[in-house]
Amino acid sequence: MKYEVSHRTAYRYRSTVVESHHLVHLKPRAGAMQSVARHSLLIEPAPVSRIDLVDYFDNETSILYIEEDHAECIIHSRSTVEVRARPVPDLAANPAWEQVTGLATAADGALDVGILQFACESRHTRPIPDALAYARQSFPAGTPVLAGAWSLAERIHRDFAFDPTATDISTPVARVFRERRGVCQDFAHLALTCLRALGLPARYVSGYLLTHPPPGREKLQGADASHAWVSVWAPGTGWVDFDPTNGLIPAEEHITIGYGRDYDDVSPVSGVLLGGDHQAMSVAVDVTPVA
Amino acid sequence: MTGSARAIAPTGAGPTEGYSGADSSFDELLGHAGTPEPHWQPFLNALSALDPAALSERIARLGVRVRETGMAHDLFADPARATHGWRVDLIPLILPPAIWRELERALVQRARLLEAVVADIYGPQRLLSSGLIPPQVVFSDPSFLRPCRNIRPPRGYIQFFATDLARGPDGRWRVIDSHAETPAGIGHALANRMVHTHVAGDIFTACRALRLAPFFQQLQTALAERANRADPTVALLTPGPSHNDFFSHAYLARYLDMLLVEGEDLRVAGERAYLKTLDGLKPIDLIVRCVAGSTADPLELDPQGFLGPVGLLQAVRRVPDLVTNALGSAIVENRALGACLPRLCREILNEDLVIPDAPRRWLGDPQAREHVAANLDRFVIRPAQEGTGRPGRATPGRDPARLSAAERAALLEEIALRGATMVAEEKVGFGTTPSLGPDGLAPRHYAVRLFVAATASGPVVMPGGIAMTVEQDAAVALSAPDGESRDVWVVSETPPPPFVSLWRPSIEAARVQRTPRELPSRAADNLFWLGRYAERADWTLRVLRTALSRLEEDSGPLRDLGAARKSLEILLGKDEASLPAGRAPTDPMLVTELCNILLTSTDRAYGLPRTLDHIHRVASLTRDRLSYEAWRTLNAFHAGTRWRIDGAPATTGEALDLLDSGLATLAAFNGLMHENMTRNFGWSFLDMGRRLSRAFNLSELLLAVFRRKEREDETGSLLFVLELGDSFITYRSRYRQAPMLALVLDLLMMDETNPRSIAFQLAELARHLDALPQARRGADRIGEQRIVLELRSRLQLADVRSLGESEADGARHQLADLLGANVASLPVLSDAISRRYFNLKEQEPRWMRARSEREP
Repeated sequence: MKYEVSHRTAYRYRSTVVESHHLVHLKPRAGAMQSVARHSLLIEPAPVSRIDLVDYFDNETSILYIEEDHAECIIHSRSTVEVRARPVPDLAANPAWEQVTGLATAADGALDVGILQFACESRHTRPIPDALAYARQSFPAGTPVLAGAWSLAERIHRDFAFDPTATDISTPVARVFRERRGVCQDFAHLALTCLRALGLPARYVSGYLLTHPPPGREKLQGADASHAWVSVWAPGTGWVDFDPTNGLIPAEEHITIGYGRDYDDVSPVSGVLLGGDHQAMSVAVDVTPVA
Repeated sequence: MTGSARAIAPTGAGPTEGYSGADSSFDELLGHAGTPEPHWQPFLNALSALDPAALSERIARLGVRVRETGMAHDLFADPARATHGWRVDLIPLILPPAIWRELERALVQRARLLEAVVADIYGPQRLLSSGLIPPQVVFSDPSFLRPCRNIRPPRGYIQFFATDLARGPDGRWRVIDSHAETPAGIGHALANRMVHTHVAGDIFTACRALRLAPFFQQLQTALAERANRADPTVALLTPGPSHNDFFSHAYLARYLDMLLVEGEDLRVAGERAYLKTLDGLKPIDLIVRCVAGSTADPLELDPQGFLGPVGLLQAVRRVPDLVTNALGSAIVENRALGACLPRLCREILNEDLVIPDAPRRWLGDPQAREHVAANLDRFVIRPAQEGTGRPGRATPGRDPARLSAAERAALLEEIALRGATMVAEEKVGFGTTPSLGPDGLAPRHYAVRLFVAATASGPVVMPGGIAMTVEQDAAVALSAPDGESRDVWVVSETPPPPFVSLWRPSIEAARVQRTPRELPSRAADNLFWLGRYAERADWTLRVLRTALSRLEEDSGPLRDLGAARKSLEILLGKDEASLPAGRAPTDPMLVTELCNILLTSTDRAYGLPRTLDHIHRVASLTRDRLSYEAWRTLNAFHAGTRWRIDGAPATTGEALDLLDSGLATLAAFNGLMHENMTRNFGWSFLDMGRRLSRAFNLSELLLAVFRRKEREDETGSLLFVLELGDSFITYRSRYRQAPMLALVLDLLMMDETNPRSIAFQLAELARHLDALPQARRGADRIGEQRIVLELRSRLQLADVRSLGESEADGARHQLADLLGANVASLPVLSDAISRRYFNLKEQEPRWMRARSEREP
């Protein structure tokens, strides 16, 4: 399936910003299941410098430096991406989770560090007892790792309410656990916290999701959103994605921008401003299937 | 703390008579044999040669010196209570050549080894993929800075390295921590040496101890090479005065002639780092990093960390040697690496590890977890990564033996979940070294921090260090809450070679340099306020002295206390608090009461205690620009308790003595600054602060006293203002007659040759303002210059005789207008200078974090 993605972020400031630096993760990542035909980044006001880098996790990223008084800043990313249908994973035919944990906690060089690193805690996925207890219900002894991960994703979808007002980017997982509500980042962090508490390698995926309007309605402009889900590693199979927000296994409608340990590693747009109190931000995302 | 030790007085039969180690620990003085070691003998001899009085005198001087140097207290803590104590023992830790050679070998090896380890972790990560280092140790450590991977500083990651070592009770050395993030308190080691040799320099020489200066010269050369420029601009980046190791940062910056800067003083533009100065952005060649790496760039590193300039990492990508130690170097401080070092040392250096780490287990390893859980009471649990602060401030760790059952269960749960970030350390115990207390020599458990600098020819060890008293029961690291420290002497078998400077600048580097060192805007701000507060203190002391001396004397016009009362009321009227009521304005007791409030009250904005605190604070902030003598002189106000007076001074005479000594201190400070400070912009701001304050104080006083003629004979008031304006002798030698208003006003207001007159202050202000960078740029006068020009012109045009004339009701309108203009305009001038040159907040609002939050 081929998509055109438009992701427009606009900041408005009450007082003038003198200078701003932005770090963006907006270019979809090319890989076996996804190829990027085209990508462009439009920035207003024009930055005096733009540095394109490849980050620690091999995601492409750009650093923008705007040195001009401005009250509004627009970062508009447009991409054309082809997503190939992922094979449906066989959830039962993979090793028991304890075996994977054993691999990921041993320090004998048996497991590639590129995989092993995702079993370690990060700022947003620090293990807590609640997470371990919650995770164990999906991982009885001997459960195949992917079957456990799917059970966990489904339970999060069932047990937690989607509520954009309940959390912000700094809400700790412990609170999401207590209040049982949040947004896709929170649920991704939650799932990762659970999986890593068990010692399993799992990573945060940042991307987009094609949304469908209610039957009989037109799709609204800018109604899509950037999205986040998780990916779990199983010996023999490799990385398999799970979407705990929607309780499904991504196939053809999830577009990957990049992955890391958590939100901090791949946040789509972050920045530091000199001046400009009272910022208001609006994000408009459109994911359009093309022939 | 000292176990079963018996202490004895260090006189009579010999200083070690009756001295025995604590418990059965190894003792430095007694060695394995149990009798004083030969390398202590010269020191012991020197000690026995001192009679008890001379000894206590030295101990006292050492304490005073420590306080005067400012090591003992926290900048913003209540000066009356030192929260982070720091004391220096008169007895150093003395290390003989053989031991030192082993330590030196161990430290050099460790510095080389950890340099190779950090280069691998931020490079190919072969040590991780081969399992020589458990990868989870690195990946779970927040000080592993992923964005720094593949940034390779050609001159190495670790410029400043330090190691904490201790001897076990059996006398064997072990490493208890390594420091590769910041200079780790090297400034404290240097200051310890300075204060100690000040009182025991003769013994130091007699013992043939090695000097530190050659080491610091090598360090300085290494920094210049790293900057890759002759005559580089080197900045020491500190988190600021609230950090517990700030003293060390400031001291090191001063000693090595580095600019002491905070993140706000720097700016990255176009992948280059600059210093914000009065004269615009100036490039920086090298940043000596004293802030945690993760906090050094909010754009790419910890988004909450604002201790470095935004975009620093981009500048580092372009010039990887720009920041030292390299960003991310803290990863090798991880305590879990200790267990890997013996193998790493063989693999990487093909050598055996000279001194291993204290026995500790990484709790990310399931087997170690099981073992520790089964033997919990034998261990202390600590974070694997801690970070480096003031020496002695390592956290003591959690001792399961002291926890309740519930706390133990919680600890075990935490270990199960987050073991990868924790270590368990065996309680081993510490060797002892003698300390000099009130009862003579007594053994103290101790650990020592030693320092290494990277140079072009390899790591070089500083022949000294800091030994600190640790709590035997609680500590497994250099955790010395009492701040009891001692210098470390490395003694030589032969007389140390005469000092030869290693610093041989090339002809190019040695070219004459007269351009002033860059002045960060913040430093200008602090110097300006130092000038203002020093002058405020001077004025306050003079007001008090002049007023109090009136009460002692007994002659006609001097009994007129009106001017004294007014001068006190001006200072006390600057805040909301009320003045004592119920006394007649002419009652001498009123003047006494007002004096006591001004002298002792900490509630009054312009009371002397607050002014002296302000001086201490801004002087600390500008320490890198003050000479040691100037700093020490000012510190006399802070270090002693004389200026902390509870209630009223016992007698007027005592108070006058104190005031005289205070004025002498300020005069010494002003003289030192005047004679020693280079006439650069820093000097201009210090002097402008002083001039502004002086002009304002005098204007305000003259206005209050003479705006209205209140009595026919004003002699008392005239004498008072002459004395306060320090112009009595000038007046007498010039006029040889009783003071007359017109002549007094001429001397104190108009006379540009009198350094105490208002006209003189304005002339100096004009001179400074004209020379500042922003004034030189355009042809037009800028706002500040206009204010001063107007005030000067009004003063010059005034007729001194008509100024003194009064209306029928006694009002002197001309005089009131003229002085009123000063009182109104000088604060405006101060604000204008602040806004233009240093008000960073107004010109440059705070950095804010902007992030995209996702919506469904």
